[in-house]
Amino acid sequence: MTDTPTPAPEHVAPQADPMAGPQPDNGGRLVHLVRRFAPWLAALGRLTRHQVRFALLVIGAGWGAIRESMRPNSWRRPVIYEFRATLRQVVSGGFLSIVITATLTGLMVVSQAAYWLGYAGMAQMTGSILVSVLVREISPILVGIIIMGRSGMLSLTEIGMMVLGGEVRALQARGIDPFLALVMPRTFAFTLGGFTLGMIFAVVSLLMGFVVAHSTGAITSSVWTFFFNVLGAMTTWDYLIIPLKFVLVGFFVGLGACVSGLTVSSNDTMATIMPRGFARGIMLVLVVNILFMLDF
Amino acid sequence: MTANAPLLELRNVVPSFEETGLMPAPYNLRIMPGECAVVDCRDFERAAMFADLCSGMVSLTQGTIRFMGLDWAALRDRQLNALRGRIGRISRSSSWLNLFGTHLNIMLPHLYHTTDPFDNVVLRATELGNRFGFPGLPTSAPDRLSGADLARAACVRAFMGRPDLLVLEDISDTLPEENILPFFEMMTTARDRGCGVLWFVRSAAAWHEYRKAVNIHMRLLDEGLFPMRVV
Repeated sequence: MTDTPTPAPEHVAPQADPMAGPQPDNGGRLVHLVRRFAPWLAALGRLTRHQVRFALLVIGAGWGAIRESMRPNSWRRPVIYEFRATLRQVVSGGFLSIVITATLTGLMVVSQAAYWLGYAGMAQMTGSILVSVLVREISPILVGIIIMGRSGMLSLTEIGMMVLGGEVRALQARGIDPFLALVMPRTFAFTLGGFTLGMIFAVVSLLMGFVVAHSTGAITSSVWTFFFNVLGAMTTWDYLIIPLKFVLVGFFVGLGACVSGLTVSSNDTMATIMPRGFARGIMLVLVVNILFMLDF
Repeated sequence: MTANAPLLELRNVVPSFEETGLMPAPYNLRIMPGECAVVDCRDFERAAMFADLCSGMVSLTQGTIRFMGLDWAALRDRQLNALRGRIGRISRSSSWLNLFGTHLNIMLPHLYHTTDPFDNVVLRATELGNRFGFPGLPTSAPDRLSGADLARAACVRAFMGRPDLLVLEDISDTLPEENILPFFEMMTTARDRGCGVLWFVRSAAAWHEYRKAVNIHMRLLDEGLFPMRVV
C-alpha cells in the first residue's frame, strides 16, 4: 500500500497513451487467430496423441503376446483351436492372392532385370539384384499388404464387432481372457502365416520370372543354375533377415489388427474401423521394412 | 474359503455410475453356499450390469465384493479369470460367438478353465443337452438357432462343470415350457452340492413354482437393491 492517491476513473481515460490504442486490437487479433486455428491445432494434437497411443499399445501388446506365449498354461485348448483356425484362414485365404501377385511380380521384376542386366553386360549381377530387390525388399511389403487385406481386416472386423456387440465382455464374464483367447493365438497364426506365404511368394516370383525370361531368351541357363546364382548371391545376413522380415510383418499385421479391433470405442462403426485399421496395417508393414532398411 | 463363510458377499458396494449406470447407492447382498437369491428386476440391462458387478467386472467407488472369500478388487488378471471360471452364467444377450459352432460355445469355458479330457467334456455336454431336450449338441452357429434352442444351450453351458455360483439372467420368456422342470432340477442338484444361485427374474411367474426353495428375495430398482419378504 502506498499513500499515493489513486486517480479517479474519469481522470484515467484521458491520460491513456495514444500508443496504447492499437494494443487491444492486437490482442483481439491474436485471440481471433488462436480461435481460428485452435480447432486445427486441437485436431493435430488429437491425431498425434492417437498415433502415439496406438504405437505404445502395439509395443505393449507385442511384448505381452510374446511373454504370454512362453507360458505353457496360456496355450489352452480354445487358444490352440483359435490359433489353428486363424492359421488356416491366413494361409488358405492368402495362398491364391500370393501366387497371383508373385507371378505378376516375377514377370515384371525378374524378366526385366534379366533383360536389362544382360543388355548392359552385367548378367552375373542378376542373382544379387533379384535377392536385394525382389526377395528382400518387395516381397515382405507385398506379403504384408496381402495378409492385411485378406486376413488382417477380417480379424479387425470380427474382433471389433465382438467388442461392440458385447461378446468380448461376455467372454470376460466367463473368465476367458480376450487377450489370451483372441489376440495371442491370432498374432502367432499371422506370424507363421506371414513366414509361409512369404516363402511361397519368393519361390513363385523367382520361378515365374525365370520361366518368362527363359522363354524370351533373356536367360539361357537352366532353372537350377538360376536358383544357384540367386542363392549364391545371398549373404549370411540375408538368410536371417529375409525370414525375419516375413515373420515380423506377419506378427505386426496380426497384432495391429487385433489391437485395433479390441480398442474400438462405442462410437465406432464399420465405416470408421476399417479405414483406420487399413492405415495402421500399411503403416506397420512399412515401418518393419524401413527399420530393416536403416539397420542393414 | 472357510466353512460357513458366505459364497458371495456384497458389503456396502457402490459401483461406478459412469461405468454402469447403476444408482451409486450402497448395495448389500449375502449368499451362503446352497442358497438361492431371486432378484426381481424388470430392466434386462440393469440386471446384466448387476450380474457383472457380482462377477467383479465393474469398478467400485466404495465397498467390497467377495466371492468364495476372495475380494475381486485384490485379485490379479489370471486369478480373476480363474475365479470367474467357477461361475456358471446365463446371459440374456450377446453371449454367443458366431465364430464357433454352438457346441464349442457351450464347451468353451470348460475347455478353457479345465484340463478334463475332451471326450469327457463332450459327453457331459451331450448329457446335459439331452436333459434340456437336445438330441445331441447343436453344431451350427448360434445365430442360426432359434431363441428356444439358444435358451436351452445357455442352460447347458451354465450348468457345465460343477460351478460354485450360478448367475442366471431371466430367459423364462424364451425357454420352452418343457425345459422349466429340468431347469429347476438342475438348479436344485447344483444347490445340493453347495452351489449358490443368483437368479434375476422379470416377473413372479418366472419363479413362482420354485418359490418355496428360494431363500432370499430382493428387488433391484433405480434406487438400489431392496430386500423383499419371501412369500
